[in-house]
Amino acid sequence: MESTKEIELQKTANKLTDDIQSMTNYKNLYNEIQRLVASRAVRKEDFKNTLVDALKSNGLETELRNTVFHWARTQGPLQREPEPLMPMLEADLSYLKRAQIQWERRIQKSLNSMCNELNVPLARIRFNMDKDELAEKWDELSTYDIDLSQYRPLYAPKDFLEVLFMVRDPSFKKQPGEPNWEFSHIQIRVKTLSQLRAMYPELSHGVPLLGVNPHMTAMGNYLNLEAERTALGERVLASNHAPIAQEFLKRGAPRAIRGKLWSLVLGSIVKDNDEEYYEELKSLVLQYDIMVDKLIIKDVQLTASNDDQYFVFEDVLYKTMLCFSRDSEVLAPVTTDRSAGGQVIHAVLQGKPATLENTLVFPPSGVIPFHGFTMYATPFCYLYDNPCTMYYTFRAFYLRYWFRLHTVSSHEQGIVALCLLFERLLQCHEPQLWAHFRNIHIQPIKVVFKWLMRGFSGHLPPEQLLYLWDLILGYDSLEIVALLAVTILSFRKENLMQVNTLHNIEAVLADLSSLKVMPLLQLVLLKE
Amino acid sequence: MANSVADNKRAVTNNLSTIYGRVPTIGTDKMRVTFCTDMDKSVIVYNFEKRGWTQVGPEDDWNFYWAVTQSCRTIFSVETGYRMSDNQTINHFPNHYELTRKDLLVKNIKRYRKDLEREGSLLAERGDGPGKYLHLDFIPVTFVLPADYNMFVEEYRKSPQSTWIMKPCGKSQGAGIFLINKLSKLKRWSREARNPFNPNLTKESYVISRYIDNPLLIGGKKFDLRLYVLITSFRPLKAYLFKLGFCRFCTVKYDTSIQELDNMYVHLTNVSVQKHGDEYNSLHGGKMSVQNLRLYLESTRGKSVTEKLFANISWCIVHSLKAVAPVMANDRHCFECYGYDIIIDNKLKPWLIEVNASPSLTSTTVNDRILKYKLIDNIISVVVPPDGVPDVRWNKCPSPEAMGNFELLLDEELAAQDERDNPTGKFRNQSNKWK
Ligand SMILES: Nc1ncnc2c1ncn2[C@@H]1O[C@H](COP(=O)(O)OP(=O)(O)O)[C@@H](O)[C@H]1O
Ligand SMILES: [Mg+2]
Repeated sequence: MESTKEIELQKTANKLTDDIQSMTNYKNLYNEIQRLVASRAVRKEDFKNTLVDALKSNGLETELRNTVFHWARTQGPLQREPEPLMPMLEADLSYLKRAQIQWERRIQKSLNSMCNELNVPLARIRFNMDKDELAEKWDELSTYDIDLSQYRPLYAPKDFLEVLFMVRDPSFKKQPGEPNWEFSHIQIRVKTLSQLRAMYPELSHGVPLLGVNPHMTAMGNYLNLEAERTALGERVLASNHAPIAQEFLKRGAPRAIRGKLWSLVLGSIVKDNDEEYYEELKSLVLQYDIMVDKLIIKDVQLTASNDDQYFVFEDVLYKTMLCFSRDSEVLAPVTTDRSAGGQVIHAVLQGKPATLENTLVFPPSGVIPFHGFTMYATPFCYLYDNPCTMYYTFRAFYLRYWFRLHTVSSHEQGIVALCLLFERLLQCHEPQLWAHFRNIHIQPIKVVFKWLMRGFSGHLPPEQLLYLWDLILGYDSLEIVALLAVTILSFRKENLMQVNTLHNIEAVLADLSSLKVMPLLQLVLLKE
Repeated sequence: MANSVADNKRAVTNNLSTIYGRVPTIGTDKMRVTFCTDMDKSVIVYNFEKRGWTQVGPEDDWNFYWAVTQSCRTIFSVETGYRMSDNQTINHFPNHYELTRKDLLVKNIKRYRKDLEREGSLLAERGDGPGKYLHLDFIPVTFVLPADYNMFVEEYRKSPQSTWIMKPCGKSQGAGIFLINKLSKLKRWSREARNPFNPNLTKESYVISRYIDNPLLIGGKKFDLRLYVLITSFRPLKAYLFKLGFCRFCTVKYDTSIQELDNMYVHLTNVSVQKHGDEYNSLHGGKMSVQNLRLYLESTRGKSVTEKLFANISWCIVHSLKAVAPVMANDRHCFECYGYDIIIDNKLKPWLIEVNASPSLTSTTVNDRILKYKLIDNIISVVVPPDGVPDVRWNKCPSPEAMGNFELLLDEELAAQDERDNPTGKFRNQSNKWK
C-alpha cells in the first residue's frame, strides 16, 4: 500500500520535473535560483536548509508553488467528477469524437471552397507593400483598408447548434413521441441543482458577495463590503499565491484589482520572455499573409466594432486576434485535448515548392475563427491597458475554458455538457416553461445557445460579465454559465409564457442590460 | 387665470372625494393634465401620453410646456404679458443664457471667483502662477473676442506654442469652430471676417479658449462627456445629475500635428460633426456609457483616482451653477435640464467646456433612444409633485423613487436643514457635501 503510493508520488515528481523544464518560465526560474545559490544567503555547509530558507524569503518558493499549481491544472480535469449515485458503466462517447472530426473536416472544406471562390491562397509570404502598410498601421488597424465584402464568417453559433442537434448516440433508441432534439440521451454526467449548491457553497450559503450591493455593511472596521474585499484582495495579491487568489474570486473581485487577480490565477503574468514572444507573433503576422487574417478582421468588424461597449477597443482587438492566430503554443493544447478531433491543416506557401520549410500549420494556432470568436477576448479590454498583458490573460482563459465551447466534445466542461446541464435544469426546475417550449415546438436551447457558446460575452453588460467570469475562474468551472441561462429564463418566465413564436421569445430575452448576475445566481442557489 | 378650468376641475374632484369619504390616492385624481410642446420629438410626446396627459396648443391651458428656448423667451417677455398660474411648469429659466452662452458662462465664473476671493473664501485659494486658482480652475483660460483681444494677446505671448480654440458665442453643434496655433492665423481670420474688431459694428462675438491638447484617450481617440444636470431651483440651489451620461468619441485618432489642426474629426467630439465622417458607425454612434468608462478607469487606473475624477466632475458642475445662481431669475415655474460638455485630460482632471440649454434629444442609436426616453421620464417625475399635477407650491423634494436615474448633486435647502439638525456636522448626508 504505502510503497505503491510512494511510487506514484515519485512518478508524479519525475513528470513534474520533466514538464517544468519545458514550461515557458522555466528559464526565468532557473536563472533566479542560480543567482540565489550564488548569493551569500546560501551557504555550502548547510546547502539544503539555507537554500530553502532563501527561496522562501525572496518569494521564489511562491513562484515555484504557483508553477506547480498551474502545471497541475493543465494535467487534471477541471474539477473532480461528482460521485455517481449509482455505479454507472462508463458510456461509450466515441461518437462525439467522430462527430467532431466530421465537423472539423466540414469547416476545412468550406475554408477551402471559400479560398477557391475568392481565388486566394490559404497562405503566402506577405507582399512587401502590404507588409509595410500593416506594420505602419499596427496600432491602428481600423484604418488598414482592405476589401472584405466577399468574406463571410465560416459559421455562426446557430450553424454549430445544428451540428449538435444531429449528434446521435448510435445505441440510443428514440421513444415514440419524443422530440428528436433533446440532448438528454447523451450520456455525459452533469450535476443536479443540489450538486451545484454543494459545489458553489459561497453562493448557496448566502455569504456576502460583491456585485450584490456594494454598500452592504462589512466586517471589522471597513466602510462597506467593497472596502473590506479590496483590503483583503490587496493582501491576497501581496501573498502572490495563485490558489488563494482563485479562492478569493469566489465572492467577486473589486474592479481595481480584478485584472491582477485573474493574471495570478491563470499564471499569465507577463515576464520579459513573454514580451519577446508577443513581438515574435507580431512579426509572424507581418511575414505571412494567411487567409484567416481576413476572417479575423471581418469578425472584429462584425462584432466589437459595432458594439457600443467595445468599439473603443477595436484596434487592440485586431492585434490580439491576429497574434493569437500565429501562436503555435495554442496548437498543442487545443488539438490534443480529448474534445478535439485533431484535424490539422497544413498549408504550402503559395508559389513555393511543397517542402517542409514552406509548409505551415494553418493557422499556426490551429483555431479557425467563427462569427463572434472575438467576443472571447473583448471583456479583457476593460481590465488591461497593455495589449501584451491583455493577450496573455485572454489566451490563458481561452485555453482553460473557451476552446471546448466550439467543439463537439464529451468533456464535462464542453458545450455539449453545458447544453445538457441547461436542459436538465430547465426540465427539473421549470417544468411549466419546459412544457410551454414543447407545446410551441421551440427548442429552449435554441434561445440560449449563443449565450452559452460565448460565455455571455456581448450579451451581458461588461461589469456583470466580469462578475460571471470571476465565478468561472473562482470555481474553475463553466457550469455557472448554463445555470445562469436557466435562471434568466426562470426570471423572465411570466413574459415567456405569454409569447409563442421564436421571434417574440428572442425579443423577451434580447435585452439583458438590467440583469444583476450575482444576486440572480445567489437567489437560485440559495432557495431550497 | 390660464388654468382656471383645470383648477375648477381639481376642486370638483376633491369635493367629490370628500363627499364620498374616499381618500384620493395618487393617480386616481381625475384632473386632466395638459401638455404642450413645440419640439417634434417622439420621446417627449410619448412620455407625456404615457402619463395620460392631453396635448394642447400653446394658446390653450397647458400644465406642462416642453418648449424650445425661443418660445420660452416669448412667454417670459414683458410685451407678451403672459402670467403663469400655480399649476404650470416650463422647461427653461428665463435667462438660462447666463449659464449656456459661452461668453456669459465665462464671465459669470470669473466674477464668482472674484467674489469668493473678496469674501476670503478658502475655495478661492490661488494656485501657481498669476490668474490660477487651486480649486476653481475648472474651465480652460478663455477670453471674449473682440472685447478682450488685448488680454488674450498678453496671455498668448506667455506660451506662444500653445493651441487655442475659437468658438462663436451664439452657435452650437461644433459650427464655426476652428483651432489656431499662431497669432497670425487669428489676424488673418479677423481681416477676412471683415471688421470684426470694430465694436461699433454688431458682429458675431467669439470666445477663444486654451485648447486642452492632452485629452484622455481611449483606443487612441479623443472623447468628451455629455452629462445631464437637472435644476429645479437656483435659490436655493437644487441640482440633480443623471447617472446615464455618455462619452462621445471622435472617429479619427487623436493627432496634435499641425497638418491635422483643421481636421474636425480629430478634435471636435460633437456627434453632429462626427456623423459626417467616413468612419462614423451608426450602430453605436461613437457613444459609450459613462458607467462603462468608469469600469474601465477603475480597472486600469485604480479606484481612488477614478473616484476623485468623478468627485471633481460633480465639483465643477456645482460651482458652475453657484456661479450663475445669483443672476438667475429664479422663477418657480421653471426647471431646466442642461447638457454639460466635459473633457477629461490625461491627468484625469475634468474641464468644463460648455453648458447647453437644449441638449439634443435626437436619438442616433437604439440605446440612445432608450436613454433619452428614460431621461425625459425621470425629469418629469422629479419636477412634478407626487400627485402628478405641476404645482409651484410644492417643496420640490422628490422621493428617492421619483428620482429614477437622477442622483442628488446638491439641495441647499436640505443642506441648511441638515446643518440646523446636526450642527456638529457629524452625520451630514449627501445634500451638503459641497459646502
Ligand atoms: N478648450 C477646448 N479644448 C479641447 N477641446 C475643446 C475645447 N473646447 C471645445 N472643444 C471641443 O469642441 C467641441 C465643441 O465645443 P463646444 O464648446 O461644446 O461648442 P458647441 O456649442 O459647438 O458644441 C467640444 O465638444 C470639444 O470636443
Ligand atoms: Mg458642445
